[in-house]
Amino acid sequence: MNAKKKILIVDDEQDVLAYFEAVFQDSGYDTVLARDGFEGFELAKSEKPDLITLDITMPEQSGIKTYYQFKKHSALKEIPVIIITAADESYKNFLNELNGLSTPEVFFSKPIDPEELLKVVADILFDNNI
Amino acid sequence: MGKKTDKASSNSDLEKYINKRLFDTIPLGIAVIDPDYNLVYANKAFEQLFGSWGNRKCYHVYKSREDMCSYCESAMTLKDGLPRANEEAGYDKNGRHIHYLQHTAPIIDDDGNFPYVIHIFTNITEATQIRDEHEVLFDQVPCNILLIDRNFRIVKANKRLTDWLGDPEGAYCFESLKGLKHKCTECTARQTFADGRIHTGYHVWKSSEGKTLHLHVITIPLKRADGSFDLVMEMAVDVTQTLKLQDGLKFAHRFLETVISTSMDGIFAVNEKGKVTIFNPAARKFFNIKDNQVISREELAGILPKGFLNQVSEGPGHVYLPETEVKTIDGETFPVRLVGNKLQRSDDSPLGMAFSVQDLREIKQLEKEKLEAERLAAVGHTVAGLSHGVKNLITALEGGMYMLNSGLSKGNIERIQKGLEMLMRNIERISIFVKTFLSFSKGREIQAKICDPAAIAKEVVELYEVKADELGIVLTNEKIGDVPPAPIDYESMHECLTNLVGNAIDACQVSNGDSCYVAVRTFEKNGIITYEVSDNGCGMDYEVKKKVFTTFFTTKGLGGSGLGLLMTKKIVQEHGGKIELESKPGQGTTFRIKFPRSRLPKVIEKEA
Repeated sequence: MNAKKKILIVDDEQDVLAYFEAVFQDSGYDTVLARDGFEGFELAKSEKPDLITLDITMPEQSGIKTYYQFKKHSALKEIPVIIITAADESYKNFLNELNGLSTPEVFFSKPIDPEELLKVVADILFDNNI
Repeated sequence: MGKKTDKASSNSDLEKYINKRLFDTIPLGIAVIDPDYNLVYANKAFEQLFGSWGNRKCYHVYKSREDMCSYCESAMTLKDGLPRANEEAGYDKNGRHIHYLQHTAPIIDDDGNFPYVIHIFTNITEATQIRDEHEVLFDQVPCNILLIDRNFRIVKANKRLTDWLGDPEGAYCFESLKGLKHKCTECTARQTFADGRIHTGYHVWKSSEGKTLHLHVITIPLKRADGSFDLVMEMAVDVTQTLKLQDGLKFAHRFLETVISTSMDGIFAVNEKGKVTIFNPAARKFFNIKDNQVISREELAGILPKGFLNQVSEGPGHVYLPETEVKTIDGETFPVRLVGNKLQRSDDSPLGMAFSVQDLREIKQLEKEKLEAERLAAVGHTVAGLSHGVKNLITALEGGMYMLNSGLSKGNIERIQKGLEMLMRNIERISIFVKTFLSFSKGREIQAKICDPAAIAKEVVELYEVKADELGIVLTNEKIGDVPPAPIDYESMHECLTNLVGNAIDACQVSNGDSCYVAVRTFEKNGIITYEVSDNGCGMDYEVKKKVFTTFFTTKGLGGSGLGLLMTKKIVQEHGGKIELESKPGQGTTFRIKFPRSRLPKVIEKEA
């Protein structure tokens, strides 16, 4: 746990960004914030985060399209993505049915339990690496 | 003696008469010519036929010729002393064409020479004419005629028959007409030969080329004065075409009968006297009329819309009512599509009227169910959208609580401040959200009143004029053509257009272009009232377009409730209309809401 892990948070809700930023920072993670899918994709390429949390229902470019971009990009496709959305379970099923794409690592429904989120993030970032 | 003398004197009187008078009283023309063909003697009857003859040649008098005939029987008789007879044609004293029989006989003198030739004439002009006429009739009458003898051989056939069959004279009738080797079992000619009476029958003839004729045949005995006969005249009328037509007619009739009796639409008709002649099972079912029940014209007029019968009989011929109401025989009203046609003969004289009626009860019910289903679907989407909206709000509130709590435990004033702001901001959002949602969910029954569709658009545009001006957006309103008043819920429609125009202005605000416009148009085409709101603002991509009507979807962050277009759609549906959307990212958006007049709500009666 020498180098701080970096998490990219993509959400159109300013308050949600602030909330997740506080939660992750309090647990010792670095955070990068993106307010929509475009920004999220650009920041993912430049910042090379260790994990991404992604909202689905966003203006400009939806989370689904953004997820596609991540998973089709050679340098980004290995980064684990946690989808955190207020949309219902049908989105999860939809994502599960996508052809040729790995399903998202975790699907969280809003409202979230911060401790559970942190546990899942820690599992992905550390268990997998060991 | 006296007696004898008497007899002798009477004999001599008779001789005198025969010698002197008979020559002139006999009804035959008699003339005598010399070897140079000069007429030397003639009787009265001759004069009556040919006129004056003194010092004239025979060919000149009989035939108006200047020179001798090329074929002259008199010349032959002068040579051989044999009598002759011939049918000749010439001219009478008035120059009219005549036919006559001419007997030519030599007058033989004591020496056995024949210095004169006597001509005896029988005028047969009339008989010839009658004979010619009969021949024309025989040949040209529009049926086949043949004479058959007792051996069933054809003695004579008219031209019509020989044209078809070739010359059958002498052949057996059954052989040449039917290609048979033996007599027919059913033979009308044989019946006539047997009893001497006229018989009729139906025959089928076959030509050697295989052509078939269907004939109506009549056989008549050609009796002599004593009643005996050896010939039968067979007249055969070709009914092939008639039979074909009859068959065609039968088929057409049966086809029509089947179509009418099995049609799902009601079909009924009245004749020119107003009597109801057709009332098919479907119509009986619609109007609740028993199978054997007869309907009078008055009853028909009673179940149809008032004055409809007259409208059809006095109109241009075709009356179509796409949606009207009729009554069952028990007086129960129901919606139908009704068509009335005036029937006329080719000379425009009336033949009656035919009607077809389509029961719209089921269609109406389906339409109602569809509208209801759409409404329920909208409610379903609303609830789904609602939960989505609430989840986002809860997350934001939890975020605020987290910031507040963690700020308090860490003594981080900035975080406490931020947490409070988040809580307050989202409580305000909840309040906006709930207000809008309430107005949506209340489901106020629309109250249609007759109003001017274009006036609503005008008022909405005026409402946005100042704002548009401030933002440098060109806002125009246009009414194209005539849009007559219609039953509309004024306030709902106002809200509808306010949403669309407001959205269009928002779209212009976030667009990169310099000269932005929002154009509102109102027009009516084919009974469909249309409002069109178009802008050249930011436009929408596929994903946004897909979602605009369905959830609490907003691209405006805190500024929108996500309910505007859903509300708009609800109002449009409640007016029986539909909403169309064309949009391209970066180019602009056009919303079109269309209201067929036939589907607009009914006007709510004014309360007293």
